[in-house]
Amino acid sequence: MRVLKYPRPVEMIVLVNAIGFGLLFFYKKPYDYFILIAGLSVILLVGFGYFAIRKAKLGDGYLFLISGMLSSIGIIMLYRLDRELGFKQIVWFGISIAAFFASYFLYRRYQVWERLTCYYPAISLFLFVATLLFGRSINGAKNWIFIGKFSIQPSECIKIIFVFFIAAFFNKYKEEFKELTALRFKKEDIKLYILMSGAYMHLGLMVIQKEWGTALLLFLVYFMLVYVLINNRLFMLINAGMASLGGIGGILFVSHIKVRVDTWLNPWKDIAGKGYQITQSLFAIGSGGFFGTGIGLGRPDFIPEVNTDFIFSAICEEMGIFGGVAIVLLYFILAYRGFKIALYTVENFTKTLALGLTLLFGFQTFIIVGGVIKLIPLTGITLPFISYGGSSLIVSFIALGILQAISAGPAAYVTRKEKLDGESK
Amino acid sequence: MENQNKRITHVMVLICFLFLCIVVYLTYFEVFVKDKILTSSYNRRQWEQEDTTLRGSILDRNGVVLAKSTMDENKQERIYPYGSLYSQVIGYNSKAYGKSLMELYYNNELLNIREYSSIFNFKEKLSGELKTGNNLYLTIDHKLQEKAEQLLRGKNGAVVAMRPKTGEILAMVSKPDFDPSSTKLAQNWEELIKSKDSPFLPRATQGLYVPGSTFKVLTAAAAVENGMEDRTFDDKGSITIDGKIFNNFNSHVYGNLDLKSALAVSSNVAFAQIGSELGEKVLKEIAVRVGMNREIPFDIPLNSSRFPYESMGKTDLAAVGMGQGKLLVTPLHMAMIASGIGNNGIIMKPYLVDRVVSSSDITQKSVKPDKFSQIMSPETAQKVKDMMQYVVETGTGKGAAIKGVKIAGKTGTAENELSSKQKNKEHAWFICFAPVDDPQVAVAVVLEYSGSTGGALAAPIARDLMRQVLGK
Amino acid sequence: MFEIFSSLLKYIFISVIYLFIFAIIRMIYLDIYSMNARRSGQNLPYIKLINRRDSLEMKVEESYILDNNLTIGRAMGNRITIADPFLSGQHAVFDISDGSCSLKDLGSTNGTFVNGKKLENAPVVLNDGDRIRIGQLDFIYVAGLEVQK
Repeated sequence: MRVLKYPRPVEMIVLVNAIGFGLLFFYKKPYDYFILIAGLSVILLVGFGYFAIRKAKLGDGYLFLISGMLSSIGIIMLYRLDRELGFKQIVWFGISIAAFFASYFLYRRYQVWERLTCYYPAISLFLFVATLLFGRSINGAKNWIFIGKFSIQPSECIKIIFVFFIAAFFNKYKEEFKELTALRFKKEDIKLYILMSGAYMHLGLMVIQKEWGTALLLFLVYFMLVYVLINNRLFMLINAGMASLGGIGGILFVSHIKVRVDTWLNPWKDIAGKGYQITQSLFAIGSGGFFGTGIGLGRPDFIPEVNTDFIFSAICEEMGIFGGVAIVLLYFILAYRGFKIALYTVENFTKTLALGLTLLFGFQTFIIVGGVIKLIPLTGITLPFISYGGSSLIVSFIALGILQAISAGPAAYVTRKEKLDGESK
Repeated sequence: MENQNKRITHVMVLICFLFLCIVVYLTYFEVFVKDKILTSSYNRRQWEQEDTTLRGSILDRNGVVLAKSTMDENKQERIYPYGSLYSQVIGYNSKAYGKSLMELYYNNELLNIREYSSIFNFKEKLSGELKTGNNLYLTIDHKLQEKAEQLLRGKNGAVVAMRPKTGEILAMVSKPDFDPSSTKLAQNWEELIKSKDSPFLPRATQGLYVPGSTFKVLTAAAAVENGMEDRTFDDKGSITIDGKIFNNFNSHVYGNLDLKSALAVSSNVAFAQIGSELGEKVLKEIAVRVGMNREIPFDIPLNSSRFPYESMGKTDLAAVGMGQGKLLVTPLHMAMIASGIGNNGIIMKPYLVDRVVSSSDITQKSVKPDKFSQIMSPETAQKVKDMMQYVVETGTGKGAAIKGVKIAGKTGTAENELSSKQKNKEHAWFICFAPVDDPQVAVAVVLEYSGSTGGALAAPIARDLMRQVLGK
Repeated sequence: MFEIFSSLLKYIFISVIYLFIFAIIRMIYLDIYSMNARRSGQNLPYIKLINRRDSLEMKVEESYILDNNLTIGRAMGNRITIADPFLSGQHAVFDISDGSCSLKDLGSTNGTFVNGKKLENAPVVLNDGDRIRIGQLDFIYVAGLEVQK
């Protein structure tokens, strides 16, 4: 049933890209026809992904649309900032879509994920050690590994492995966890502590690498998962307490964190020095007004780190507060779909996995957007789908692919659906 | 599992709430906060305004142009007709080196940057007309400024002349100074930056000096307020308080002194004694009352004078009574204190900018005189006035006397960190106001590390300046 | 020139993004609505369309909730009306009794097929997962919750 009266989302994405790249074409003389090709390729990539999912009925129809729109806005903004970066991001985008489908099929094909409980922390440790040995520092955080010309950030992968670990662990011992009504500090509760130590180990890795943002993110995801899976007040209190101690200790003793908190409270004291990043971000956001200055008319080039951490500020400057709010709405709908997938999943492991991945998206977005608008202290994590970065984009789409795979999987009537999908090809 | 699902919805609500916070904060920021911060000069977007707006002029109270801009084919140039004369008041405006002083703090007025200026400027954008900034009319009297600079030439220090009844700054000169034009600035920048004399420091507002005996006017006021008006002192040339010896200048012995005479001869012995008797509470209190340790609002940054004592021993009290110790004051603040005494005990808020006028002659902002602080009762002020008049008539301040005018003043020869090691490194101070019965001008002069005495070096400068103001 | 373009287009740009959001929300809402409709009838059996809807020329729903004496055919007046030229006016009827659902062909021209076998005059009891072919349409029968045991 064609609903022509109402707009179809995929058409809107096409339109957005058309307008965006159209404007960018006229932006700088001499006119660069390559921009039009770039825009076309984005449209084709999104279109291909969308129709593939729709025709083959590969699960939830909205996840890809939303991330497609987000990525498009990101690519347009990055192209506007730096042609080369924009082009690179389109390449990463293409690779990410491939990764998306790859993770979709791989996840569904090899039903082993819940059995690899012990492997996950091992892989995390391995990645961490590799970063330590072969890694190079950028901007004070040693978390990049260079392979030839390309750089990857292993900590991005650790995020997903972390969620897998918690899901697998909880699934493995779900019987024991079910019996847990009170924390008795007895031998029976040891599973809890193993879970805890596993989780905190990952957190510790992040802290050692000085990745405060990711550490915060992992803790929040862990804490929420604990709340949903193990509704044991005492255990949650213990975790909250430990986190608070860690947080306060960090603020007091780690100068890096103290600086961040100080500039969050009053960046105007040191506008040229410590407060430079956040004040420039605020100047940009304020300069846009509600509708923005218009693409190409603002000065987002005054913002430091504008390609990664502060891309949201650039968007607010040129696309206005309405643009920024629109993006937040998009992330919210994405999270909503993720939650819905989690709610409707019956099987334990998959349910936790879906929930964890959704929380990754949700909290990550909140942490970085909140940081650049000065709602919370600034941390250096990326905005999923929008920030420049191969690692960030690919990992986000892999997580999305897994979420997509889960959505296509068992809802209420498992086997029948799979039979349907298989036979309707 | 149902419970789990319930909790999942809780988490979903939490995420929803977090995102809502973001939206609400963004809106709040846009509506309430952004205007206050966008005009910061660190926001380089404002610089764009510069190239498309003709920067406003700065003029003295009578319309003499002190700074102006010319536009030549999209290139603006800032011209200072009087070269270095206003470098320590107006400052400089340079693409390379930024802005300072009034060019910095009144940047938005000079460029007419307001909220929503993009809307207001749309018409000009379409027609290609040049936007013009606003002009500033200062309280400064150019002729007086010229005279002050002449008098201070060749020395380091500051001269401030202001009107006690209103707080208007009539002249403000700091030396050393520099040529603020773009070309000269570029030429001399390295030298200026490295110079030990700190030519970029506007002494009048940022220089902190030991006040020396000029502070005694406040000690005297405190003495009057605390019943010591009729005290007499036996000045034997030096006094020992708590084991520390306090000398008069050249250890001169003055013998029997009343309060008035003690101030006239500037007896360290008497005032050390008064200080130690008045006590910590009284001295601290009057210091704060006159504005020390406090932020004083002014058109350009004004350093706070310092009374940095937590607890005071007898020797500290004695030193402070004399105006030594750890006390530090700015020349402008001393002029304000002199003004306050002359103005029946009320210090008016000092100000440099009288009005802001648009290029089409519409007054955007006009400043009204306002009270800063009541530092003493009119009765006390009158008594201190009398004493200060006596200083100029018979005491150390004779160098400031003008025939036919009643002048009240106080000299100061402040010991500082250099003078204790070398000879002739004292700061020479003089503060005054005139005419005593209806003060029209208050002056503060300080000559940095100049040696000699306030009476010998600083007072005559103040006298010549007052001559010009009073037309004598 | 570009300045004017961008200043004007920014409003359209933002609107398009919001239209997108609106469209997505609308789609989600419609999904929930039909899900609820189905959930309220969750105890009831239904048939689910297998064919791809866009490959069909007529208007067909994704699924139809079954009820007692539910006729299906091309003519108006049927409980399920589908403008499939290969459907007869009154093609077949669903019957629910004793907790089971049966399908009976009403003498259709092209026949009714369950799991590939053409129906004769007698009604056939449907089991969960049975494939039904009517006209060009392929359906799968989903039993209601009580029946499902």
